[in-house]
Amino acid sequence: MTRARTLNVVGLAVLVVLLLAFPYLGTSGYQVSLASTVLIAAILASTVNFLAGDGGMGSLGHGAIAAAAAYGAGWSSLQGHSIGLQVVFAMGTGIVVTIAYGLLSMRTNGIYFLMVTLAVGMVVYGLAYRLSSVTRGENGITGIQRPAAFDEPWAYYLFVVVSFLAVTAALWVVSRSPFGAGLRGIRDSESRMRSLGYYVPAFKFVAFMISGTVASYAGLLSVWHTHFVSPSSAEVHRSVLLFVMVILGGLGTTLGPLVGATIVVLVENVLSNSVERWPTVLGVIFVLAILFARSGLVGGAQQLLARWRRGRHDPRPLAEASTADATASGPNPSA
Amino acid sequence: MFEPVFLAQQALNGLSFGALLFLLASGLTLVFGLQRIVNLAHGAFYMLGGYVGIIVATTTGNLALAALVSMIAVGVTALVVELGLLRFVRGQEMPEVLLTIGVMFVVADLCLAIFGGDPKTLPASASIPGALQVGDLTYPWYRIFVIAVAIVVGVALALVQSKTRVGAVVRAGVDDREIISAMGVNISWVFTGMFVVGAALAGLGGTIGSGVLSVRPGIQNDVLLYALVVIIIGGLGSIKGAAVGAVLIGVIDAFAKAWIPEFAYFTIFAPMALVLVFRPTGLFGRTA
Amino acid sequence: MKSTTTSAPRRRGALAALGAVAALALAACAPASSSDPTTPAPEPSQGETSSQGAEEPSGDGGTLKVGYISPITGNFAIAGQEMVDGWNLYWEINGTEAGGVTVETIVEDDAGNPELSLTKARKLVESDGVDVVVGPLLANTALATAAYTSSVGIPNLHPVAAADDLTQREANDLTLRTGSMSGSQMNYPGGQWAAEEGHKTAVTLCPDYAFGWESCAGFKQGFEANGGEVTSQIWYPNGTSDFATYVSQIQAAGADIAFVVTAGGAPGPDFLRSFMGLGLTDSQELLMNCCAMDQATLRALGDEVLGFKSISYWAEGRESPVVTEFNEAYGERFEGKIPSANVAGGYMTASLVAKVLEANGLVTGADLVTAIGDVSFDDSVLGAVSWDEFNNTVGSVYIREVQERDGKLYNVPIKEYPAVDQWLGLDPTESMARETYSQSFQG
Repeated sequence: MTRARTLNVVGLAVLVVLLLAFPYLGTSGYQVSLASTVLIAAILASTVNFLAGDGGMGSLGHGAIAAAAAYGAGWSSLQGHSIGLQVVFAMGTGIVVTIAYGLLSMRTNGIYFLMVTLAVGMVVYGLAYRLSSVTRGENGITGIQRPAAFDEPWAYYLFVVVSFLAVTAALWVVSRSPFGAGLRGIRDSESRMRSLGYYVPAFKFVAFMISGTVASYAGLLSVWHTHFVSPSSAEVHRSVLLFVMVILGGLGTTLGPLVGATIVVLVENVLSNSVERWPTVLGVIFVLAILFARSGLVGGAQQLLARWRRGRHDPRPLAEASTADATASGPNPSA
Repeated sequence: MFEPVFLAQQALNGLSFGALLFLLASGLTLVFGLQRIVNLAHGAFYMLGGYVGIIVATTTGNLALAALVSMIAVGVTALVVELGLLRFVRGQEMPEVLLTIGVMFVVADLCLAIFGGDPKTLPASASIPGALQVGDLTYPWYRIFVIAVAIVVGVALALVQSKTRVGAVVRAGVDDREIISAMGVNISWVFTGMFVVGAALAGLGGTIGSGVLSVRPGIQNDVLLYALVVIIIGGLGSIKGAAVGAVLIGVIDAFAKAWIPEFAYFTIFAPMALVLVFRPTGLFGRTA
Repeated sequence: MKSTTTSAPRRRGALAALGAVAALALAACAPASSSDPTTPAPEPSQGETSSQGAEEPSGDGGTLKVGYISPITGNFAIAGQEMVDGWNLYWEINGTEAGGVTVETIVEDDAGNPELSLTKARKLVESDGVDVVVGPLLANTALATAAYTSSVGIPNLHPVAAADDLTQREANDLTLRTGSMSGSQMNYPGGQWAAEEGHKTAVTLCPDYAFGWESCAGFKQGFEANGGEVTSQIWYPNGTSDFATYVSQIQAAGADIAFVVTAGGAPGPDFLRSFMGLGLTDSQELLMNCCAMDQATLRALGDEVLGFKSISYWAEGRESPVVTEFNEAYGERFEGKIPSANVAGGYMTASLVAKVLEANGLVTGADLVTAIGDVSFDDSVLGAVSWDEFNNTVGSVYIREVQERDGKLYNVPIKEYPAVDQWLGLDPTESMARETYSQSFQG
């Protein structure tokens, strides 16, 4: 199906060009800055998407991991460290928190996993409040600077675009690798994989580490974007919204997080300008997505495309039809 | 810090808070036990029950009526959610949970729109005035009443579960869904019924609880968090576990805030972490 | 079988090549229309921004565009809405023109989330071209917004935020506190009063974060400077709903007076419920802060709180024609309710802006801030108010008691401490050289 392949490549290329060209299309600084917000959220949502989609582990704690990394950068900037050292502290803090998550959650799955991530998230939030000598407590830390090369919003935006593309590509590569296949096997049936000789906890831990490391990077990007971090970044609500983004876009799809992030960020920031009951709107959109577009907008679009291309009813189960490329599961639809 | 009056007071504080947590958690754990859904809108149901109960109590001055009306109101809401939304995703764990997140957003925001943002508490006219006086110890009757309500509800639930046909059907449904529907029971209605009962319990909790904690925007998250911690500790699906977990958390919370205030914020997570590490299915939960 | 291995590297290669070329090209040039946050360049599409002065084509004296950020949804919705209502109320009563300048307000919701506050601030400044940003409410949102607005040369007025550092260590030339006082400032006279009333020992209960630390520190310093001793300080985590355990601790402390602080909203009624329920109403002398005994608490608990005392910069029961007019106007439009401190803060800020415009015509940027510094009120809704060189309010603090009037409950002043500033009797430099307040450092 080279025509489909070409279409995919062209589509992606167009997307990349659009993303890169955004600041040049007559948009204001505010809009560029909003676009950066969307992309950073999309990066963070991709980490949740990777862990939940391929790993079957739904986490409500990624907001806290990103916040921990943000605090690492913030504290480091208060000490007057160089930007390079700030990056080290940010990634270091995020990774340490990720390890804590990983160790605590390795033995759990499903709803229990969700609860552990929720609890650790609340602990991070509590620490952000209580350790005020380090975190400045509720007031948060302001004045965090990003590298001088990216000072202008359009320059930073381009850096964020490149980061987003790199992260998306990297996660895609991991997902298509044998590791990714093993992870999906574990998602589908842990006992089967164990009987095949896979050491399951190691897979899950590594998956969490990958996801958490990228989430830490997202936290760094976020604090460079707003020059600011406060405990509210670690709130459960932020992590719930990440999940909403993933589902709206399509769990397990490559571009789903971007679509989901766009919708949520736009509702929060733009729709709220004119509609007072925007949280209700967001909730309704979410409910409708679960009911009618279970594989999200991207997943649903892919199914429609697949159906149109083949001109017959898609026999594969909906959840598995949502991935862009053929995976190991399900019959192959190509002629 | 160790005088008898102080200890007695804190113990009662812990028990009454635990009683409230039990009312909250019992509905949540019941629904999970049967349907394997964690209803994340449970906190929002509590909030709705609280607001409705306070309004009825303010106009009629009758707490029992307020509780009844709020249970019906929340029950009807839950029925609509179940029939209109959850039915479509029956059996799929993730979508069910996520759907309840959406419902939570909507209910919480609509409560803000309808009831306003002021914190509301049960009016004195509907509450139970006065306090128990034993020597130096003074303790409000209302909080003792909350303990009593929780005990009554807990016993009633346990009796229904073990002594009635409905309870038997539910227990069978928890064990094996397919067999029970093969036996001719309409499992779909059992699920719906249980969801409504769970929500009604949340509504009852909200009304009774409004005499202890104000109902305000944001309470749905606080309340949900406590309820989840309780059922994780107690074991998902177990009423006994919810009771034990609730009392444990309530008492630990009260004493920790007095004796180790440094860690006051983290006191409810420590037991939960311990349970998750050593016995992930909870103290009374079913393994696997 | 669809082959993923042959096409994937080709696709990746294509993307990489595209990316590299584009990156090289774009790195070399800056886009024309994107504005740099460090230069306050007005958008060419906005007609009315004026960093230059009063020359306006409209002829009448120009327009002051105000961007108002407040949490209208979310957990702080009531406070956020009241802040907006206070501001709007002033313009409704007095018309939106002052000194020939029309005041135009754009209201934005930040839901109490600092990232949203920042995005809205950017939108207001860069897309809507506002001259002034008012708000937001919460301390972390306020500090984040102030950092941004000062970097783009836009004045930022705070009607309600109480963070000490807003006008101390994090102060900048363009940020002002206009409708409230800092946490330590507004509670210092409480300690004074407690000592004057003859109390020798005190126990404090404050929330365990900056606002609580600052408030308790203010009280403690006022109390101990006048001969009292704070024997015990209890801290409760933010988000506490059940205060029974803390009331028990207060009882066990056995001090002459208890000073209790909340940040407004539900904790006030929650605390009082436990306090009254555990029988301490008659046995424990109690002083609460502004927000614990605000109108929201009075509405929630009603007659049960008659006679309770609190301290605040706002007293709705004060005998003054300004306050009476304000109360009546608010009551007419809001179902007979009495304004809370949040409403007063918004209204005060509007009064200030109006007075500045009347005295100077249209002023923006640093000129606006200077003009505010020159303003003082002999009587406003908050009483006699002026502004110090750190852009903080200097005004009266009232000890209030809950009394009934015409069937409604008011906080009526029983003692006034005039001209209270934020330095608590210390020299500003000395004060700011000390560490920030925390559990361990209470002044």
